[in-house]
Amino acid sequence: MPRLSRVKLLPPLVASRIAFVLALAALAPGAQPARAADEAAAAPPIKIGYAISRTGPFAPGAQVTQEPNYLLWADQVNAGGGLSVKGSAKGTAVKRKVELIGYDDRSDVETTVRTYEKLMGSDKVDLILPPWGSGTNFAVAPLANKYQYPMLAPTALSRKLIDMKLPYFFALLQQPDRMMGALVDFLAANKIKTVAIIYMDDLFGLENVNALVPLLKAKKIEIAENKSYPLGVKDLSPVLKAIKAKNVDAFLGITYPPDTILASKQAKEIGFNPKVFYSSVGTAFPLYKDVMGASAEDVMGMGSWNTKTSAGAKTYFEAHVKKFNKEPDRWASGHAWAGLQILQQAVEKVGLDRKALRDYIAATEFKTIIGPIRFKGSENASTPGTIGQWQKGEFEVVWPDGHATAPPVFPKPPWK
Amino acid sequence: MTASLFADLAVAGLITGGIYALVAIGLNLQYGLLRIMNIAHGEFLMIGAYLTYALRTATGWSPLWFVPVSALAMFALGLLIHRLIFRRLARLSLTVEELEERSLLIGFGLLFVLQNLALLIWGADLRGYDYLAQPLEYGGVIVTANRVVVFGVVVALSAALVLGLRLTMIGKAVRAMLQSPLGARLVGVDTRRLHPLCFAVGLALAGFAGALLSMIYEIAPNIGESYTVTALIVITLGGLGHITGSLVGALILGLVESFGMYLTNPSLKTLLSYGVFVLVMLIRPKGLLAR
Amino acid sequence: MTARRALAAAAGAAVLTLPLYASPFALALALTCLLYVGLAVSWSLFSGPTRYLSLATSAFFGLGAYGTAVGLGTLPWPLLILAGALVAAALAWLIGLLTLRLRGAYFAVLTFGLSEVVRHAVTYVEKSVSGTVGRVLTDAPEVPTIYWTVAAIAGAALVTFRLVQRSDLGVALRAVGEDEERAATLGVDPRRVKTVAFCLSAAFAGAAGAAMAPRSTYIDPSSVFNPFILFQTVLIAMVGGPSKLHGPVIAALGFSLLAEALRLNLPYLYLIALGLLLILSVLFLPAGLAGVSWLNRWFEPRPPRMQPDAPRR
Repeated sequence: MPRLSRVKLLPPLVASRIAFVLALAALAPGAQPARAADEAAAAPPIKIGYAISRTGPFAPGAQVTQEPNYLLWADQVNAGGGLSVKGSAKGTAVKRKVELIGYDDRSDVETTVRTYEKLMGSDKVDLILPPWGSGTNFAVAPLANKYQYPMLAPTALSRKLIDMKLPYFFALLQQPDRMMGALVDFLAANKIKTVAIIYMDDLFGLENVNALVPLLKAKKIEIAENKSYPLGVKDLSPVLKAIKAKNVDAFLGITYPPDTILASKQAKEIGFNPKVFYSSVGTAFPLYKDVMGASAEDVMGMGSWNTKTSAGAKTYFEAHVKKFNKEPDRWASGHAWAGLQILQQAVEKVGLDRKALRDYIAATEFKTIIGPIRFKGSENASTPGTIGQWQKGEFEVVWPDGHATAPPVFPKPPWK
Repeated sequence: MTASLFADLAVAGLITGGIYALVAIGLNLQYGLLRIMNIAHGEFLMIGAYLTYALRTATGWSPLWFVPVSALAMFALGLLIHRLIFRRLARLSLTVEELEERSLLIGFGLLFVLQNLALLIWGADLRGYDYLAQPLEYGGVIVTANRVVVFGVVVALSAALVLGLRLTMIGKAVRAMLQSPLGARLVGVDTRRLHPLCFAVGLALAGFAGALLSMIYEIAPNIGESYTVTALIVITLGGLGHITGSLVGALILGLVESFGMYLTNPSLKTLLSYGVFVLVMLIRPKGLLAR
Repeated sequence: MTARRALAAAAGAAVLTLPLYASPFALALALTCLLYVGLAVSWSLFSGPTRYLSLATSAFFGLGAYGTAVGLGTLPWPLLILAGALVAAALAWLIGLLTLRLRGAYFAVLTFGLSEVVRHAVTYVEKSVSGTVGRVLTDAPEVPTIYWTVAAIAGAALVTFRLVQRSDLGVALRAVGEDEERAATLGVDPRRVKTVAFCLSAAFAGAAGAAMAPRSTYIDPSSVFNPFILFQTVLIAMVGGPSKLHGPVIAALGFSLLAEALRLNLPYLYLIALGLLLILSVLFLPAGLAGVSWLNRWFEPRPPRMQPDAPRR
């Protein structure tokens, strides 16, 4: 697979962003080109609204795993003449263009809530797409439920959110307990005796650890060290040194992207070479491979798809690279795309009646690039917990068997 | 605790402290000396880091070449910003408090502008590269080469600054201005020339720090804020306007964090360093090395 | 005089009846405006006359919000708001005890780091005691209830500001801001006066945090101890000019509406525009809106008294 050239002063996103600003300026009311001959132009566009972090601390995540997918999807749909909508009168599908209405939520929950109140309560857009991150999804999910907008969230990770049992809310990623279950199964299958855990001080960190610890105990795997760290940590070497001294078989980090890279770099520095090096979020980002170079080899993390998963995944991957000149990450991006596919299929089948849409989404099994998805309550019940591992420049899915695109490399050789 | 682990933690602490010092000394020149509360100091660091990243990825050369480039660019930007904004602000403000409050607002404004400019140009994705990450080992102490480089630069730079302030004419003028602005003017110090210089050197140091830190940490448009907070704590800890004080304060903070994290829990890091800060403020309200 | 009274009454009535007819978005926007009126006015209450730059608003706000998250379901709504106010005031008292003897810059820096510290402390306590960090707020009150609560907090802040300004406490605070030592020789106890005003100011921020918490459904330390709240409060209060009541009020309305309009219409560029506007406003309106003479004539038409906060020297 060709290594992407990142040697550019201005990434292409800038160009598309500036073009987007200009396009928005041109889209002032009344300025829309009237092409009466075009069938799609005859029907008004479908308005799809969302708020997402373009600025603030959530932006690095949101701009890797979520918004690029929205833009790519709208582009593709419109290039194909529009979204097929089941017509209410004749029962035949009519193609209508998609108009994305996206606002910046400044990584601020109150701003997010206010924007969705505008989109759903005041502007009454046809459909919504979710914001990025568990915190904002927590805030928007009850609102979407109140206004009855189906919401297919790619980046909402919390059992508590699933347990709120909101009928209009659907979460696409595997929840923490499921991911940790897969991890522990893998460790047990490879006869790991001792592990060390570090996790960040937030809901995601705690939910994962609270799921992980009892599972490890059940398999009689010893936890030699279990420490938390704050978000924005700048140095993990004191903790890693203490862990190295304990000579554990596996290192399990419940970490976010900057800390994932920090932990990997510093583990390599001090020559800490466990048989398994697992670092949860961010390992699946192409950035990880770029920064770590050859050292990325055999590092594990949360990932659930790649170009070998399905033909659709390969097409999607290539389209993403073509439009943004960067690869999608191998976890949430695929789920975000799957969510858009589900929405598209549902609209084609039942139209824009949102109650009917919800019922259809809740009851149907969909074919997506990451495999079939069926919801049970708010949870994606089909995609199992998975483990990814960097092998020769690709983040392979290595666990469980049915989903794996390559066998796992175990034990991990020392850092290169 | 074994001797080698102790040495290891001490070195890690000193290096973290050195990074803090680099950022703090630049801010001290602006806030300690000029009373310009530049809350956007970390943003200039961020711009310096992006500049180095962009040049490094474009040319493939060693990032060390771009450290002076980044510093010079920030120096020029500093002169420009002083000329456009702070010169006028200093004239408008009658008291030190007024200058402080208004420069804080200007700082917010600069923070918005710079963060979003970086966002527009480079996007929100985390970015980074790998340079000099090979470990060096000596007597059980392991550090990466890039951290050693950063530490060496910090020590050299603060030594140069302290000596420069003591030995050169400009340095003497700056110290005179620090002790008594009016007195300095009376003995013929041209404060109108000195102010932009101090401000621009402060920003140059931010550019310097950003360029060096881009070798160690990943970059995103919002990385600046945490550095500003740490730098503010360090300069008050060491004493406003006191360069040596900032160095000492930063090293203490680094050591407290390193040993504290090992002995207790990384989650308590902020509480520990802040506890030290409050303690020092209670015992020596004007900072560690203040007269 | 009567024209102003009538206008004020009409404005008050419009604010209070808004939930009955406004669209959800208009209501949310009005809520934001009122929130920042309350925060900026209560910030000015302490920092305006004393000229102590307090950067702890996020800490107070976040603590109030956390209070609601813990107590929702057990305590009735008014008590939750009161609890938020009290907890924040208690924290302010503690900080005051430690830091109010520090002058200017040192006080500002200490309070700036404070919300970080409170955030980490809350995280640590939650994790060790309750075994989780985030709290889900179910059975939350409806938007109109939150709106009326925040309106009441903002109204109370306005009234308190006026009362303090005209009381002995106000005189003492201004004297402290002028010259602390001279004030002490004139029989003012600077420490006591400062502590009282600081706690009062914090109580409003805490109450506002408590009222706003249910808006997010889910509360965790990194979302409630958000530096954004502080930035915006200080910015509004200072652009308005914290020495007079109408300054922060007009700035809160103007800034919230302008920021929202720019955000919705200038994606990717609006924060740059906002930053530039801010810089220009400081350079060309250095005393804030409170320094604009025709505004002052409209809002304070009495003959000018000796203003202790007039330019010194």
